Amino acid sequence: MFIITCPFCGERDQSEFSAGGEAHIVRPKQPTELSDDEWADFLFMRKNIKGVQFERWNHAHGCRKWFNVIRDTSNDKIHAVYKMGEKPPVK
Amino acid sequence: MLNINYPKIEKKEYPNLELNIVEPIHKLNLRGKNRDFFTKAGRILSIMLPTEPNTSATIKNISALWLSPDEWMIYGKDIDKNLMLSLDTEISKLNLGSVTDISDQWVLINMKGKNVFEVLSKGSPFDFNKFKNTKNVVVQTLLNHVDVILHHNDRNNIDLFVRKSFSEHLWLWINDSSSFL
Repeated sequence: MFIITCPFCGERDQSEFSAGGEAHIVRPKQPTELSDDEWADFLFMRKNIKGVQFERWNHAHGCRKWFNVIRDTSNDKIHAVYKMGEKPPVK
Repeated sequence: MLNINYPKIEKKEYPNLELNIVEPIHKLNLRGKNRDFFTKAGRILSIMLPTEPNTSATIKNISALWLSPDEWMIYGKDIDKNLMLSLDTEISKLNLGSVTDISDQWVLINMKGKNVFEVLSKGSPFDFNKFKNTKNVVVQTLLNHVDVILHHNDRNNIDLFVRKSFSEHLWLWINDSSSFL
């Protein structure tokens, strides 16, 4: 269990949120030109690394807004939270 | 088949806690972003929709609760069909935003007394320390794993909104928790 600072509502318990997977995955501009493997790679393959990861989260039991989180998956330390459409504050 | 009657909730009293259902009462959901939407909604409701997170605005018997940056819940005894019609024709039909009647979606339970936050803290992950000392604040959180909207409209006086289908279950849980005060 850990605390997430929703960019709209403020500090809330993790149980109010749902994880939305890896962030910043760009949809291919011409999906019809991709092979099945490339399309499957875009749809299903995620990094799921141990360490600092860029993720999408949804405040499902609060304002229901999506936002991005930079989280260390090994210790749940959150390095940054930023809104959708904003650039990550750290690289 | 949908049970159109409200759950069987009768006024209950516990040490320093009073529980009551406040139904029927009109509730509206407003969604919009642009300036015209704010102007029209403010003029029709005579309330400026709160833009600061987790706050509310109340004038006479109508309250506007902040739910998200582009969403508000409006409720109160003074909401009538004329007001709803005005919102519909001047906001919804002009595509400035959306107006939805959610009167039957949510059930309003009023909790008041010194032990309100004792009971809420038993089943919610939310930290009520700041919340309980501030009036006119709003929080959407979980209570016994059920989505609720809490409006702290007066000191130790909470309006709790719960979805109708969960209301009887939550009511029983609140009563059970209150019996251990």
